[in-house]
Amino acid sequence: MPYGTVNADSLVSSDGGVISPNINSLRNRIINGAMVIDQRNAGASITVNSNSGTQFAADRFLVQGTSSEGVFTAQQLSATPPTGFKNYVRVQTTTASASPASGSLYAMSQIIEGFNIADLGFGAAGASTVTFSFWIRSSLTGTFSGSLKNGNAYNRSYPFTYTINSANTWEYKTVTVAGDTSGTWQTGNLGGLIVYWDLGCGSSLLSTANSWQGGNYNGVTGSTRLISTLNATLDITGVQLEKGSVATSFDYRPYGTELALCQRYFRKTNGGVNTEPTLYAYGDGSQVIGQSWIFPVPMRVSPTTTTSGSLAIGNGGSPTILVSPDSYFLYVMPSGGGTVYYQPNGSYRISFSAEL
Amino acid sequence: MYKLIKNPQGQVATVLRLADNAFIPMDEQNTDYAAYLKWLAEGNTPEPADEIKGE
Repeated sequence: MPYGTVNADSLVSSDGGVISPNINSLRNRIINGAMVIDQRNAGASITVNSNSGTQFAADRFLVQGTSSEGVFTAQQLSATPPTGFKNYVRVQTTTASASPASGSLYAMSQIIEGFNIADLGFGAAGASTVTFSFWIRSSLTGTFSGSLKNGNAYNRSYPFTYTINSANTWEYKTVTVAGDTSGTWQTGNLGGLIVYWDLGCGSSLLSTANSWQGGNYNGVTGSTRLISTLNATLDITGVQLEKGSVATSFDYRPYGTELALCQRYFRKTNGGVNTEPTLYAYGDGSQVIGQSWIFPVPMRVSPTTTTSGSLAIGNGGSPTILVSPDSYFLYVMPSGGGTVYYQPNGSYRISFSAEL
Repeated sequence: MYKLIKNPQGQVATVLRLADNAFIPMDEQNTDYAAYLKWLAEGNTPEPADEIKGE
């Protein structure tokens, strides 16, 4: 039997399923696209009524709202995912805003780090085409919208629409976009490319569909606003952004790999007794007592650190935490000579955030 | 409001955001530190750091 060569972007089976996508590992530039990692909330619902930039529906999926107007909740769920998935994120309007103000922001997004889009060559001739795909379900039907945007500068946007045909039914959507040959696109550890789902932004954040344009837009003028309908739901999972014009099957990654990818941006300690950052030490009271801990994954930048719960501390004051991208140092000032200790009592957690 | 924090060597090494007791590293690519720098540029002043034992 003679040998030959097949030149193709992908092989497609007779039922339309892609059986051999471009053979690149980590082809999905979205992290946690199957919504399996939720370090912050562990599946609990969060209420979104501000643009704090610190609320995430699941790891890497930022949710932003507007104060004193519409309110929505966001939650990682597992009750009724589409076939082949375990989790999804639900956003649901809990206070409707019939007519959001011009600058009001209601959106879910993921900021892809510049390192992870550098090969796309955006901002110059020859920029690669990308394809964005996701599973979505809503209690509403109609034309919804989103956008692709440059991170950091926020001045190049590609608004797009997608149609939800049947209420409360999972549908698979794909959007193929020619790469932007203009603008400034980060290729290092700053925000590279942002993908948005518009949930009802005001008019100044909306524009026309299907072209790259100068400006900061999250969606398309006239599209359906989830925030305007009380109790309306929107469920999303299987999110993928890849190089090329073909939406390939979802790029499943091992759980540990996906968790490690998330922990470049956020990490939370276990909190259990005798777990990190437990320390027992002895001193004469004249020096601080502390210890360094190595992050399991180097973080994007030195992270902001917050704590929750209580830490049992013996013979010392409240801890101070100093960080670098790959480790942290926790120390206390001793009250006097003798044994100094600090130990999580089951609820104490340290959160490290290096989000974009 | 913010407060400066020293490391055990007595050098200012981080910034405490008093609203939520978040330790913010002095790294310009950290979004919270960028917000602190903007706050400084608006003419605000952080609380001084406490002294460190053994400093």
